[in-house]
Amino acid sequence: MFSLNNQLELRRVTISSLNTCIYLPSIVTIVSYKGLLYSIGNGSSFYVLVLIFIAELLKSFYLSSSNDIQGKKIKLNKNRAGDIVKSFLFLLGTLTSFFVGIILFGAPVLDYHEETLMLSTLLTLLTVFPLIAYTGVESSMQLLFGVRSYAKDTVIDMLVTNALLTVCGAWLGAIVIPLDWNTPWQQWPIPCYLGAIGGYLLANVLTVLKVTLMSAAYKYPSLNFLVNILNKLCISK
Amino acid sequence: MLPWLEHRWTGLGLLVMTLGALILFFFGFFPLKYHTGKLAHMDDLPNFIDDISIDGHQVYNSGENSVILMVIDGLRYDFASEQYMPFVGQLLKNKSACIHVSVAEPPTVTMPRIKSPERKTEKAQWRRTINFWRDVFAMMTGSVSTFADVALNFGAPAVKGDSVLRVARSRGLRTVMYGDDTWLRLFPGLWVEYDGTTSFYVTDYTEVDNNVTRHLDKILAPDETKKPNFDFLVLHYLGLDHIGHLEGARSPKIAPKLIEMDNVVKKIYTAMQKWDRTGVLFICGDHGMRDAGGHGGATPAEVLVPLVVIKSKNFVCPHPVGPGPTVAQVDVAPTIAWLLNAPLPGESTGRILPSLLPDDIRQHLYLLHVVASHNAKLPGLPTDREFYKQFKRAVEHFALYLVTNSRGPATTAKEFYEESLEEMTKYLTETTVSFDMFAIAIGLFLLYALTTALLCVTLYSLQPENQRKLSNTHTHRRSSLGSIIAFVIMLAIVTFILTVSCFITETKSQVCSFDSLWSLVFMSIAIAFTMSYFIIKSGVEKTQELSSLKYLNIIDYLLIGGTLFHAWSFFGTSFIEEEHMTWYFLWNTLMFFLLIRTIVVVVMYLNKRLVGATEVQEKSELHERMCIVGVGILPKWILLIGLHRYLRTMNQTGDRWLFLPDTADWLNNPENSFYLQAHLVIGILLTMAICLYNLRHLNNIMQMQSALTVVATALILIYRISTKALYTPIEEMKTWDTVIIVNIIWGLLAAQFIFEVLSYTGVLKIINFDPSVKYNNKFVYNKPKAKTEDYHYDPIIEEPWNLEEVKLNLARSLSHLLLNHLMLIIILLMRPHNVIMVPSVYITCMLTSKLMDHKLLDNKPGKRTEVVDTLSQTLVHLWIGFLFFFYQGNSNSLASVDLGSGYVGLREYSPVSVALRMGLHAYAGPTLAGATLFCSVATQAQTWQQYLQSVWRVTNIYALHRAYCVTIYCIIAAIFRHHLYVWTVFSPKLLYDFVATVFSIQALLTIAEIIIFTSFASWLAKTVTFKTKL
Repeated sequence: MFSLNNQLELRRVTISSLNTCIYLPSIVTIVSYKGLLYSIGNGSSFYVLVLIFIAELLKSFYLSSSNDIQGKKIKLNKNRAGDIVKSFLFLLGTLTSFFVGIILFGAPVLDYHEETLMLSTLLTLLTVFPLIAYTGVESSMQLLFGVRSYAKDTVIDMLVTNALLTVCGAWLGAIVIPLDWNTPWQQWPIPCYLGAIGGYLLANVLTVLKVTLMSAAYKYPSLNFLVNILNKLCISK
Repeated sequence: MLPWLEHRWTGLGLLVMTLGALILFFFGFFPLKYHTGKLAHMDDLPNFIDDISIDGHQVYNSGENSVILMVIDGLRYDFASEQYMPFVGQLLKNKSACIHVSVAEPPTVTMPRIKSPERKTEKAQWRRTINFWRDVFAMMTGSVSTFADVALNFGAPAVKGDSVLRVARSRGLRTVMYGDDTWLRLFPGLWVEYDGTTSFYVTDYTEVDNNVTRHLDKILAPDETKKPNFDFLVLHYLGLDHIGHLEGARSPKIAPKLIEMDNVVKKIYTAMQKWDRTGVLFICGDHGMRDAGGHGGATPAEVLVPLVVIKSKNFVCPHPVGPGPTVAQVDVAPTIAWLLNAPLPGESTGRILPSLLPDDIRQHLYLLHVVASHNAKLPGLPTDREFYKQFKRAVEHFALYLVTNSRGPATTAKEFYEESLEEMTKYLTETTVSFDMFAIAIGLFLLYALTTALLCVTLYSLQPENQRKLSNTHTHRRSSLGSIIAFVIMLAIVTFILTVSCFITETKSQVCSFDSLWSLVFMSIAIAFTMSYFIIKSGVEKTQELSSLKYLNIIDYLLIGGTLFHAWSFFGTSFIEEEHMTWYFLWNTLMFFLLIRTIVVVVMYLNKRLVGATEVQEKSELHERMCIVGVGILPKWILLIGLHRYLRTMNQTGDRWLFLPDTADWLNNPENSFYLQAHLVIGILLTMAICLYNLRHLNNIMQMQSALTVVATALILIYRISTKALYTPIEEMKTWDTVIIVNIIWGLLAAQFIFEVLSYTGVLKIINFDPSVKYNNKFVYNKPKAKTEDYHYDPIIEEPWNLEEVKLNLARSLSHLLLNHLMLIIILLMRPHNVIMVPSVYITCMLTSKLMDHKLLDNKPGKRTEVVDTLSQTLVHLWIGFLFFFYQGNSNSLASVDLGSGYVGLREYSPVSVALRMGLHAYAGPTLAGATLFCSVATQAQTWQQYLQSVWRVTNIYALHRAYCVTIYCIIAAIFRHHLYVWTVFSPKLLYDFVATVFSIQALLTIAEIIIFTSFASWLAKTVTFKTKL
C-alpha cells in the first residue's frame, strides 16, 4: 500500500495511471475500429508499439521531472549518453530473454518469429522500460532481482505492480488459444498480446482506485478498515 | 474408532473401498446387456401353437429371395424423394416401393480431419469404427448395442454375437460385400466375396463410390438358370457423406451424387427383373447430415433417415403415399433374416417390417408369432407384465384360428400380437440403454463419503507428530466394547436408511433386490458408509493442529489450486478431450514460478557473495541454502524447461490437434531413421546410467548388481535390434528370437531381486562368496553402542542392535530396485521415439524436488517444513506423472491405447499379460513418477520412524487425490449421462479413471509389501540372532 507521506508522488502516480487508462484503451479502440485487431501481432502493427513507447517515455519524464531537482539533474547530465547506451543494451537483453522465454514456454519454435518478437517487445515496453526510465539501469536491475526492497517508494511500487500484472495477463491470455471456439482471434499471439495490455491497464486502474480509496479514507475515517484489510493483504503477499 | 484414523494403511483401505464404489457406479452407468451368446437355428422355429401342431419350416418359408442392402452414408430423409432421386420417387409413387422413417441412434462422432500419416490412422480408424458401430450393429444383430460392447473389444472390434450374416452363412448362403471396410472388420470371415474400400480420404468422393459400383454389373448378372450370384449383398456408399463433410448439404455436388445413386438403384431394379427369383432391395442411410454438413447432433435432419424397400415382383406397398410409418433400425435384421429363410438372429429385438409381411393370414400370423415368442424368450423380459399376457392371449387366438380357420380370431390375434410386440420392443430397448439411477446415486454418495473420510485422514496425518500425540493423550480411551456397540448401532441406522430409500424410490435396481448375492453387496455398502462416518467423526474431533500448513508458499498454493481445478475442468467436453492442454499449462506455470523464484534466490546469493558479507548472519544462511543445490541449478532448470518444450512436441494428442504433424512423425520417417535410433540409444543409455546411479543404495557386492543391470540393458538393445528398430551390421542379429530375449531380461531382473535379498540375509557370506573387500556394512547388524564401559550392563534389555537402521536401508534398496526394474521394463515396452521419456521422468522428478525444497525458496529460516515438503513433493510427482502420460501420446480416448506394447515378448495372446503390459505402458509416466517419489521418501528419511511417517502422509495424499478425481468425474458423468458424447468422450475417460484407480491401489500395495517384507525380515533376523548369538 502506498504511503500518504509524499502527497506529491501520490499525485504523480495517480495522474500517470489515469493517463494510461485513457491512452491505452484509445489505441486499442482505434485499432479495432479500423478492423486491424486481428493483425495486431504482425510486424505491420509496429506503430502501436511506437505509440506506447512514446507515451511511456513521456510518462516517465513526468514522473521523474521535479524529483530533487538540484541533486539528480547534475548526475544525469554527467553521463547521460552512457546511461542511454546502457539502458538500450539492457532493454535488448530483456527483449532477448523474453523472446527465448516465450519460445521455451510454448510459442512455435520454427515459425511466427515476427509475432513472438512483437509480443516480447510489448512486454519489454510495458514492464522493464518504465522502470529503467524512472530509476536507471542499475537500480532497476536490483529491483528486478529483489536485491533492493521497494516497499517505501510509491512510484516504484506502482511500476513493479504494473510489470507483474502485465506478465500475468499475457500468461493467462494463452489459455484461450487452444479452446475450440473457432474464432479468428484465437491465434498466436493475439490473446497474449491483448492479455498483456489488459493486465497493464488493470494494474493502472487498480492504482487509481487505491489512491482514491486512500484519499477517501483520509476524509472519512470510517473507510479506514478497508484500507487496513488492503494493507494486510499486501503484507501477507 | 481412533485406531482406524491412526492406522498407516487406512488411506489404502479407503481407496480400495472407493474402487468398490466406483464399480457400483459403473454397474449403474454402463447397463450390462446379458449376452446369451445364443446362436439361432432353424429348429428353434415353433412347431406348436398352443398344442396345435403347425409345420414351422414350411410356413416360415418366404420363397426364393436375394436381398440387397444398400447403405448410403449420410442419406437423410428428404433426399429419398422425387426431387433428388427421380427413379426412387417414381417407384414410391406407383407403390412398387415402400418408404419408412427410420430413427438412427444419434451418431457418436464426426469424422476427424485425417490428413495424418500412417501412425495416426489407427486412432482415427477406431473412432470411425465406433461411428459406424451403432448403426451396423443394430441393423445386423437386431439389438441395440451398449458401451460395454464397444469398450470390451477395442482391440479387434468384431461382433461376437449372432447376426444376420452369421445365420445366413450357417444356411450356406452367399454373402457379398462391396463398400466400406468397417463391415469386414465387424464381421470377419462371414463374407464369401468382398471388396473393402477405405474412407480415410474425405476429399475423395468419386473413387470410393466407383469402387463399389464397378462390381455391380458382374454380381447382378444372373447365371444360365437366371439365378443371381449371391443371396445377400451389402453395398455401402460413402461419397455422399464425404461431400456433406466437405461442403455441406446445400452443396451443388449433392444433386449429381444422388442422381448417381438413383442410377445405381435403377440398375439394380432392372437387373432384379431378369431373375427367376424375387429380389428385395433395402435402401437406407445410417445417419443424416446437417445443412452445414457433418453430423453428430440429434436434430431431425441428422437422425431421421429413410428406409426404402423395393421388391421386384408381386409387391404393392400397403401404406398410403406419404412419409411412411416409423420403424426402428433393429427391424432390419429380422426382416432380412426371414427373407433369406434364415432364423432370426439370437439376440434380435426387432420386428419384421409390416409392409413385407405376406397377405396369407396363416403365414402372417405365424411370423408375428415367431418374432413375439423369440422376444418373449429373451433374458430379462419379465413374464408378469401386461404385454406378456397379451402375447399369451394372442397365442390362444392364433390357435383358435388354426382350428376353426375363421377370420374373427385371426384379426384379434394379429392385433394382440402387434400390441404386445410393440410393448416388448419398447421394454427391451429401455432396459438395455437405461441407467440404474439408484446404483448411480448410491455410488456417488459412497464416493463422496469416502473422499471426505480420506480428506480427514490426510489432514490428520498432516499434523506435526508431537501435536498429534498430545491431542491423543488428552482424550480418554473408549472401551473396545463401547466402540463395537457404537459401530453396530450406526450400521443398523445406515442399513435402515438404505432400505427405506430403496422402498421410497420404488427402484427397479438390482441393488435393492435383496437376493443372496446382492444383499451381500448391500451390507458392504452399509458397512462402508458406517466406517467412513466414524473415520470422519474422529478425524474432525482429532484434527486440531494444522499449523504446519501455514508454511505453504505460493508454489504450494499453485499445486493445490491446480489439482483442485483440474478435476472440475471436466465439465467441458473439450477439457476432457484436450486434458493434456490443462496439464501443459499448469506445468508451464509451475516451471515459470520456480524459475523466477530460483533466479531471485541465486542472484541474491551471488550478489551477496560478490559485494562481500556485510550482514554476516544472513549470508551464512543463504550460503547454507545454496550449498544443497549449488548455483548450477539455474542453468539446469532452464535446460529442463527446454527439454520439456521438446517433449511436448513429441506426440500430438487429444482430438482437435491430433492431425498436426509432430516430432514423432518426423522421426518415424524412413529418411530420418538415424535420429530415431539416436533417440533410442540415448534413452536406453541414460536409463542405464540412472539405474547404475541408483545402485548405490543397494548391497552391491562385487558390483554384481551393476553387471546384471548392464547385461539387461544390453539385452534391451539387442531386442531393439531384433525388432529392427536399430541398425546393425550383423545380419544374423536381426533374426534372433525376441521372445527368448525378453524372457532372459525377466530372468535377469528376477535374479537381481533374489540376489539382493540373499545378500541381505548373509547367505553369500556363509558360503564364502566374498565377504572381504567391497562389502559395505549397511546391512550388517552390529552394536553401535558396543563400547559401553559398563560391563555389568544387561545387553538384552538395552537392545543395542541397529535394527531400525538396517530396516531403513533395506526399504531404500528395495524401493530403488523397484524403480530400476520399472524403468528397464518400460524402456522395453515403449515405442522407439518415446524411450527418451523414461530418463526424462527421472531427471524431472529429481530436479523439481530439489528446487521445490521449502528451505531453499522461502527466505525465512528456521521453519519446520517437513509436512509441507511432503505435501508439495507428492503433488508435484502426481503432476509429473500426468504430464508424461500425455507427453507419451496418450489421451482420454480409447483409440490412443497402444496395443502393440501388449505383445512384447509374447508368443500368443494371454489376456492377463497383455493387459498388464498395456497398462504399464500407458501409465508409464505416473508409475515412474510414483516410484521415484517413494525412492526419494526413503532416501530423505533419517530414521525408520520418519520413513513410516512420510510414507503414511504420501499414501494418504495419493489416495485422496485419486478418490477426489474419481468422485468429481463421476458426478460430472452422471450429470452428462444423456450428453451426445457420452460414448466417445465421457465413458472412455471413466474407464481411464477406473484403470488409474486400480493402478494406484496396486502401487500403494507394493509399497505396503515392501514395508511388510522389511519388518518381517527384521523380525526374523531378531529372533534368529537372539537365539543363536546370545
